[in-house]
Amino acid sequence: MIFNSWDYYLFFLIPSAILCRAASPERRPWVMFLSGGLFFTYFSYTQFGGIAGAACLAIFLWESFVSRFYKPASWVCWFGVTQTVVFLVLFKYRNFLTGLVWHDAAHNPLYWRNAFLPLGISFFTFEFVHYAVDRYKNKTEEGTATEYLAFILFFPTMVAGPIKRYQDFLPKLRGISRAWVIDWQRGVTRILTGLVKKFAIADVLTAYTSHLNSADISRAYRPILLLWLFAYGIKIYADFSAYSDIAIGSARLFGIRVPENFDWPYLRTNITEFWRHWHMSLTSWLIDYIYIPLGGSRRAAGQVYANILVTMFVSGIWHGAGVNFIVWGLLHGVMLVVRRMWRQIRPLDPDARPPLWSQLGSWLLTYVAVNFAWAFFCMDVHTALYFFRRLLIG
Amino acid sequence: MTILDWLKHAFDYMGGAQDDPPPGFGIRVEHWWFWAIWWAALALAIYVFSGQSSKFIYIDF
Repeated sequence: MIFNSWDYYLFFLIPSAILCRAASPERRPWVMFLSGGLFFTYFSYTQFGGIAGAACLAIFLWESFVSRFYKPASWVCWFGVTQTVVFLVLFKYRNFLTGLVWHDAAHNPLYWRNAFLPLGISFFTFEFVHYAVDRYKNKTEEGTATEYLAFILFFPTMVAGPIKRYQDFLPKLRGISRAWVIDWQRGVTRILTGLVKKFAIADVLTAYTSHLNSADISRAYRPILLLWLFAYGIKIYADFSAYSDIAIGSARLFGIRVPENFDWPYLRTNITEFWRHWHMSLTSWLIDYIYIPLGGSRRAAGQVYANILVTMFVSGIWHGAGVNFIVWGLLHGVMLVVRRMWRQIRPLDPDARPPLWSQLGSWLLTYVAVNFAWAFFCMDVHTALYFFRRLLIG
Repeated sequence: MTILDWLKHAFDYMGGAQDDPPPGFGIRVEHWWFWAIWWAALALAIYVFSGQSSKFIYIDF
């Protein structure tokens, strides 16, 4: 409840964006850093985690301090990556992982009863890792400490992306667009569009998707089950693309263009294309920091399939601390592997345009497969399997 | 440009995701009267549908 609150627009976005544009180039990183710090403290304290949540601002300050020691080929970069992953595991996966050993929370000595997540930890983790790895490989310049703080605390994208890259962000920070009329015209339009998608589509569909539970599934007619699942597919797209619209539009008010996240993914005609156009900033991060380091596509076929599965496993577990998210990720991994195998058996002719019926069939298959996989995203494994049993057997 | 590409471009433009309209699209960014009406329509839709309390799915709390 940040982007759909008045507090966000009146106390943070509008004043900070105006201040940032009015400030001299040397002071802009300070405006972004300080407004981001206030944003994190305010929303953490009022909505997520209270004082303990707000105190997690120290993670950003500590990361900023350690990052000053990142140098090309330095072991400190790997220390930075490790501590970032440790933070994520401690906050997000502690109860899930210890729960695999002690199934009953009451008998779990490591169970964290008042667990909370620092605001945006899943997303700022990616940016911390990206900076450390790219500094190690000398793919990005160091920048100043304030510029780095402005990058990691840039509040329009801090909570849920799009996931930025420092080498893209820094030139924009140093040379903020002066065309503020077009930036504000496009930015406000983007924010309003995002809010309409959220309120008029995503939230309205909750009336259907809230039935995706064991009790309602056991009573519903089979076509209704399909309706609920496909409604969830539209809802999650409308919801997250709305969020991205508001984040991108907000950044535009500062004069900064951040990466796009969606490009009509549901119109794509195969699962590879779907992932190239769904949560694009995550996909490119996974390719650059998981898939390619594993060897990418330049390995024997079996190794490439394993790389795809590992990458999608990471994608799954990142989406949530639950077995269902792992199953969801692996399902997509299997679909990507099957698609790759198919293309090796039947290579595409780059000059030939597939007939319309073939394109329609491919689109339908992709759309249905993606929507069926959502069952494991929105329900636990047991409920999702029950859903499919009811759907297929009755 | 296919009809589908043109439509996607037009929707993106109306939603603020593109700076330039597709070929043959009459509305430009400078047409303030149009955008005033468009913003009012979007604001009205937000007003009509707001009030349902639900968080964004991808924010993990």
